[in-house]
Amino acid sequence: MSRETRGIVLDIQRAALHDGPGVRTTVFLKGCPLRCLWCHNPESWKTDPECAVAPGQDEGPKTYGLPMTVAEVMGEVRKDLVYYETSGGGLTLSGGEPTLQFEFCAALLRAAHAGGIHTCLDTCGFGPAERFLELLPDVDLFLWDYKATGRDLHKALTGVTPDTIARNFRLLYERGARIMLRCPMVPGINDGDAHLEALAGIARDFPDLAGIELLPYHDWGAGKYEMLGLPRPALAAHLPDEDLLRKWRGYFEKTGCANVVVA
Amino acid sequence: MTMTDSTCIECAPRGEIFDRPLALELAFTDTYRRHRNDPIALREAKCLRVQFPAILQPIDGRDLFAGRIRYPLVGFSPEPMGLGYYCCFKTVRETLEKLPFSTAERESVEDMLVFWEAECTHAKTRAAFPDSLRRALPSDEWMSTSGIAFPLYRMAGITLDYGKLLELGIPGLKRLAREQAASCDGERSLFDGMGAALDVLEDSCRRYAREAAELAAAGGERARELEQMSEILEALTSRAPETLREAIQLFWLYALLSGTWNYGRMDVYLGGFLADDLESGRITREEALGLLRSLWRLITAYDNQYNNRVFVGGRGRPDEKAADQFALLAIEATRTVITNQPQLSLRFYEGQNPELMRAALTCLGEGRTFPILYNDDVNIPAVERAFGAGPDEAAEYMPYGCGEYTINHASVGTPNGVINLLKCLEVALHGGIDPMTRQPCGIPTAAPDRFTGFEDLWQAYARQVEHHLEALALQEKLTYDVTGAAAPFLLVSLLTDDCVRRKKEVFSGGVRRLGGTIETYGNINVSDSLCAIRRLVYEDRVCTLSDIIRACDADFSGFEDLHRRLLGAPKFGNDLGEADDMARRTHDHVCLSAQAQAARAGLDTYLVVIINNSANVNFGAHTAASADGRRLGEPLANAVNPQAGRDRSGTTAFLNSLTKLDPGIHAGAVQNMKFSRGLFTRNRPKLEAMLGGYFRSGGTQAMITVVSRDDLEAAMREPEKWGHLMVRVGGFSARFIDLPRGTQLDVLARTLNE
Repeated sequence: MSRETRGIVLDIQRAALHDGPGVRTTVFLKGCPLRCLWCHNPESWKTDPECAVAPGQDEGPKTYGLPMTVAEVMGEVRKDLVYYETSGGGLTLSGGEPTLQFEFCAALLRAAHAGGIHTCLDTCGFGPAERFLELLPDVDLFLWDYKATGRDLHKALTGVTPDTIARNFRLLYERGARIMLRCPMVPGINDGDAHLEALAGIARDFPDLAGIELLPYHDWGAGKYEMLGLPRPALAAHLPDEDLLRKWRGYFEKTGCANVVVA
Repeated sequence: MTMTDSTCIECAPRGEIFDRPLALELAFTDTYRRHRNDPIALREAKCLRVQFPAILQPIDGRDLFAGRIRYPLVGFSPEPMGLGYYCCFKTVRETLEKLPFSTAERESVEDMLVFWEAECTHAKTRAAFPDSLRRALPSDEWMSTSGIAFPLYRMAGITLDYGKLLELGIPGLKRLAREQAASCDGERSLFDGMGAALDVLEDSCRRYAREAAELAAAGGERARELEQMSEILEALTSRAPETLREAIQLFWLYALLSGTWNYGRMDVYLGGFLADDLESGRITREEALGLLRSLWRLITAYDNQYNNRVFVGGRGRPDEKAADQFALLAIEATRTVITNQPQLSLRFYEGQNPELMRAALTCLGEGRTFPILYNDDVNIPAVERAFGAGPDEAAEYMPYGCGEYTINHASVGTPNGVINLLKCLEVALHGGIDPMTRQPCGIPTAAPDRFTGFEDLWQAYARQVEHHLEALALQEKLTYDVTGAAAPFLLVSLLTDDCVRRKKEVFSGGVRRLGGTIETYGNINVSDSLCAIRRLVYEDRVCTLSDIIRACDADFSGFEDLHRRLLGAPKFGNDLGEADDMARRTHDHVCLSAQAQAARAGLDTYLVVIINNSANVNFGAHTAASADGRRLGEPLANAVNPQAGRDRSGTTAFLNSLTKLDPGIHAGAVQNMKFSRGLFTRNRPKLEAMLGGYFRSGGTQAMITVVSRDDLEAAMREPEKWGHLMVRVGGFSARFIDLPRGTQLDVLARTLNE
């Protein structure tokens, strides 16, 4: 592995304010092993670059995914060093599932650490345990998805069972990884009482978590399915309203989970 | 920009003895004519005597200070009405048509107009142009005609030594003028004139003292307040001010009578008065805030959104603690008096009391757009280089108006010309012809089909720029010379370094630094265009230069594919080496070319200013489509900001691009930035970190807008211009324009709930 290692980059978003502490550069890698029904980035599923045409627009086809070397990506990332310093920010790898392009992902994290840049890994947690262990020294904070409670439901909603993810989570937690749990909350789909109870249980059982963030569902990705020629998953979700947000907040206040916040 | 004829009707006077329309104008003209051949200082003093206190307006119901003004249609003004002796010809003629006048009156007015047509300072300046200048600057109509460069006739950006005013008071200044007059070997009229001008100021105090006393005598809840106002105004005629209220009153009347409207480092010259008043218990902080709020309203009434600068903060303040206390009060006044004036500006440096920046950001976050932020740690070394000044003098740098730097009460730097750089490129691409008029424009250069490479194009562009800068610098000096020969500007010279010591008028050897500036427009359109041309024609070779010229001439109609490619070329504002390097090259070229004109023209400095006002829109309207993808008639980029909507790589990329242009070779470049309200509230530490990073990387200044409902609605109407607008909903951020319409409406609604 070297600085010449190549990967397929979906996007590089600078001045990202919501993907970890401080001001960050979020690098989105293509490819994802999950197929969450609420996914708003279906262009990140395939690892290979792909073309899409926005219907009714004269802008011409748009390419998703650009092969880049570690050195090229880090060149972009380093442009904002001064803002990482003033804000406590750094690099966030996201996706897709960034660990799917494992070598590239590992090389980027290592390069960032070698340059003194704080790192976050935004992951669904699905993959071989040894890969996560290998990345551990170069990840300052895991942004770890927790998507659904219950084995069947998880499988139905994401395409995979939660077993591997849960195992990896425990393993990393025990090895001292710093983890922020991020939970997409899709009303009517994964926000049942059992889910809330499970989250409260996690907050109790894993007191050293960096936090648990609830991410209210939105449907902005809807148009992308059409562009990519993909069927839009049937999802009987509705958008969360203020009452629901209040209910969630109220629940975690009542159960004494100060660590849980609604983003 | 100066007021135009069409707004002058607002300035018609309401003085007691001049109830008849145009009576004051005729009296002024008569006085001028009688003293036409007197020494210019005495002539000016006589003219001031006609104007003041006649044009001072009544004390308004809530004013805590006396001082409102309305200029006549003919008169004398350093800044508000144009240049020196002025006449609003158009409005006078309209008045003559609209209102009944006797035949004799009509004749007098016609006679007056004929007189000023040759005698007003503007006309004298134009008449003094040598042939070479007439050729290079053929038109004055920069708002309505196509062209490269245009002269402006004005003086602007004078900031007076108010510290000296408040220390000496009127009696002290009169003593100074007398002593100086006595020490003159020969010609002493300058100081006699200053003495006479101070008499006019004194009389204006008395006139307002009487008015306040009369209003007080009429009773009512304001009686005590007005009585005090009257006492203060009376006291100011016999001694220097002793309290904050007295100091503000004297400052304000002097500013009005001097005809200048940028107020310098207010925390330095008022901070001590505030501290003394608070310490002695003479007033409470709340009362002091009330005084400032009243002053802010008076400044707003002295309506000029382009000027009215008040500075607080920064290095070089002798009593920093007192100044900080005043600065915080000033920011609070701006936060709570909701107007667009004064243009409160905060200078800051690493190690300054952090309270000031905190208060400033809170004020900005509430959507005030003030204070404007200036980074001393970058600006002071930059001003040292640009002005050739020592560190102490550079620490007195003082932006005024739209953002032109001067040295506090020691320099003038009027922008007396405008140049459309994109028109220079356009003409260069048409071999010396303006495609908008199909007439020759500027100097003839080689036809583009003879260019052998990119450097030939660059040279053709550069020659147009240099040719016009040469002319503009000479015109600037000439304007100063003609203006200086017309008037000494007594109240300005009295408080401008080093006029008194040198015994010279401000424009005739008095001011320490006689500087000029040139407003340049289209800088970024030029660099983005050159970058696109170099990439597509000379590197990727996907089209020829004549393809691009034809596409621009056709406003891209029939050239949609090429238009897309041009838009797709690297653009300034995205932290991209290629585009930013080209921006640096054009920036260095125009700035250094201007700088090189100073000595030739006989100026101490001649510097580029890249500011924002409506000129980018006016010039844009007369500029063809350009190779950066900008369409025919669209506005040029604002100041050195990216062309609207072309910065699409996030806030930090935008900020990084801004810091790449050398600040040490010009006299101010405006940096506009818009942020979302959420950033100022929910993500304040991250916002502070981004601004901190920008300033640490060499950011000179920030003019911050916090986006409002209007911005979001505009973004929905014209998404192509709002690529930079980021919004936060739920768990992540998105570019607003990428969102489907329904979500945009949703975001719009949520923003309103904040």
